[in-house]
Amino acid sequence: MRPGGLFSTKYASELAIVKTKTQWFFLAVALVFSIAIIPLIADDYWLSVLARIGITLIVVLGLHILSGLGGLISLGQGGFVLVGAYIVAILTHHWGLNGWLCLPICAIGSGIAGIIFGLPSVRLKMFYLALATLAAHQIIYWCFTYEGSQSVVGPSHGLSLAEHPLTLGSIDFSSEQNMYILVAIMVAIGTFMAVNIQRSNTGRKFIAIRDNELAAEVSGIWVFRNKLLAFFISCAFAGVAGWLWAYAQMHVSPRDYTIDDGIFFMGMILIGGWGSTTGVFLGVFFLEFLDILMSDHISPWLEGMVSDRWGSQLRTVLGPVVGGLGIILFMKYMPKGLVGVWERFKQFYRLHPYSFWGG
Amino acid sequence: MRVLYEKGKAHIIASSIILAILVAGLIVIFSVLSIDDRDKSIKAIVGGLMNGGVLALITVGMVVVYKATRIFNMAHGGMLLFLTYLTWWLIADQGVPYPLVLFLVAIAGVVLGWVLDRALFRGMIGHGELSSFLITMILGFSVLHYITKLIFEGKDRVMPDIIGWILKDIFQVEGGTVHVIGTYNLPWAELGSFIVATLMFLIFVTYFRFTKSGLAMRCVSEDNIISQSLGIKVKRIYTIAWIIGCLSAVTGGILLASVVGTVYSSRGGMDGLAIMMALPIVVLGGLESIAGAYVAALIIGLTVSLCGFYVDSYIRGFADVVPWVLLMVVMIIRPSGLFGVKGIKRI
Repeated sequence: MRPGGLFSTKYASELAIVKTKTQWFFLAVALVFSIAIIPLIADDYWLSVLARIGITLIVVLGLHILSGLGGLISLGQGGFVLVGAYIVAILTHHWGLNGWLCLPICAIGSGIAGIIFGLPSVRLKMFYLALATLAAHQIIYWCFTYEGSQSVVGPSHGLSLAEHPLTLGSIDFSSEQNMYILVAIMVAIGTFMAVNIQRSNTGRKFIAIRDNELAAEVSGIWVFRNKLLAFFISCAFAGVAGWLWAYAQMHVSPRDYTIDDGIFFMGMILIGGWGSTTGVFLGVFFLEFLDILMSDHISPWLEGMVSDRWGSQLRTVLGPVVGGLGIILFMKYMPKGLVGVWERFKQFYRLHPYSFWGG
Repeated sequence: MRVLYEKGKAHIIASSIILAILVAGLIVIFSVLSIDDRDKSIKAIVGGLMNGGVLALITVGMVVVYKATRIFNMAHGGMLLFLTYLTWWLIADQGVPYPLVLFLVAIAGVVLGWVLDRALFRGMIGHGELSSFLITMILGFSVLHYITKLIFEGKDRVMPDIIGWILKDIFQVEGGTVHVIGTYNLPWAELGSFIVATLMFLIFVTYFRFTKSGLAMRCVSEDNIISQSLGIKVKRIYTIAWIIGCLSAVTGGILLASVVGTVYSSRGGMDGLAIMMALPIVVLGGLESIAGAYVAALIIGLTVSLCGFYVDSYIRGFADVVPWVLLMVVMIIRPSGLFGVKGIKRI
């Protein structure tokens, strides 16, 4: 809901993404802070953590287009990130291709993989489709570990990109700082694209398909084509994330993205709230920070307190268990997710003395 | 239900004809083959069928839960892993005698089923199939899996030979294998697992077919609101379904572990293996059909075993991925499965 006293006087202002001056102000502050100020004040550990979160954001923005708008559940998003990461690794490792040239190739290649594994979505719905994407992840994973393909994809422990670092003029992106800035810019572009897809003709078609497939088909939407398009777009996002991941780690391996990651990407959408870009940001930050808090800060503290028998496992175990319980509790008690809480809060202060009007 | 029965009759006739032709063909082929090849292929077929029986038992828990509550239970693997580790812990770590252990883990299964139903899934009634599916997914793959790792230290353990003990103490059978043909000896662990699994399966089917509460469960699976208004205690049926699910998980887990020989949670874990094999079975058999689960389990077990024997030497590691490929293929060709019910869509 809009704040009181704010009316659109032109069509352009009705269509604008950023509507008020306050929003412009906060947007500018957020952009300047995340792109210019954080690299100056944060140390390498936090920069790498934030870069990882940024890469997750790009994946989940893509998944948001597929699941949040299109209603197609994908648990295999991690697999498509792997495809993107491997494409850049193979192209630079074997042919020494320029890293920037690989970016569109990664996006398109991943998108095509998405189309192939999205084909069952013609006939499948709901958790059937989720199972198909699960199978897709396993098949992709197998392709990268299969002995016969090792001449191309390298040994099963992974492929290194260290010989061909990403550079732009004199800027070398192997340092944490530059990598973080690159990721932050990509996140900004990705968010802009995701928001625009959401409010364009394409996004509205996806939403129509999500709400009622038959009704969408009757009203003239080519359901099959649009489902595949949703798969293509979301997997292209995943491919770009894979490109960034490959250069952030300088090393790709099939174990970088497992089934658990695919499930947690979906969990981020659920915690954030379906069908909202703000929700994507809230969900990703919530779960990623929870994970980092658990694995890097709480588990070393707990390890000293419990016996050795359990302590050795805590680091790997605490993150998934607490994150998983968090997702389950959110789905059970707050089905609208964090964005629902945020909306209610906004409604509360905008209507302030008469908050009961909002219900 | 009536429609299913009529179709079922045709299916039974058709499948018995196909089966007869297959068996006749196999006998002809076996009489032509050399002794070594014959033994090898019989080993692949029999081993696959034996595994299929165990998988059927694991799968039937998922089918029962889906039938009654409309929740596709991906946490089945996690439940299986937890309860199997519990069995190992009671026998090997605590030294409890095994008849008592079987009793205790059965109680643990009942308690786990009851707790899951009361704490988690009862509140999800009416929230849609998708949210429940995702909850079970996260519950199984991250919460139960990692909690088991934490409690039982995440190491691979040698499973105590429960089947061997049962054979020795009750049936006085010594020796680890049964002679089948030529040089091929079938390990008792596999045969015993198959027999126990089939017996358990028959118990579940009997419960469904011939008891009042089984009838109530079938009624609930048709329409839970009408069942409620007819006086069936739907919530109690849901609890029973979850308990049956957990019991199938615990027996299936113990049998699977005795076939594999270890209890493990690394490399995807036993839960990953069980889920990987169970998914194509559930989908091929049809989500609502218990008999379908058994038939599909035999088919999938056989296919995976044959692929392991004959394709694996050309494409290494193909047996690891073949259940997923089968899942994709089945879902593209026939999403409702062999014995499933096709839904009707209305705007």
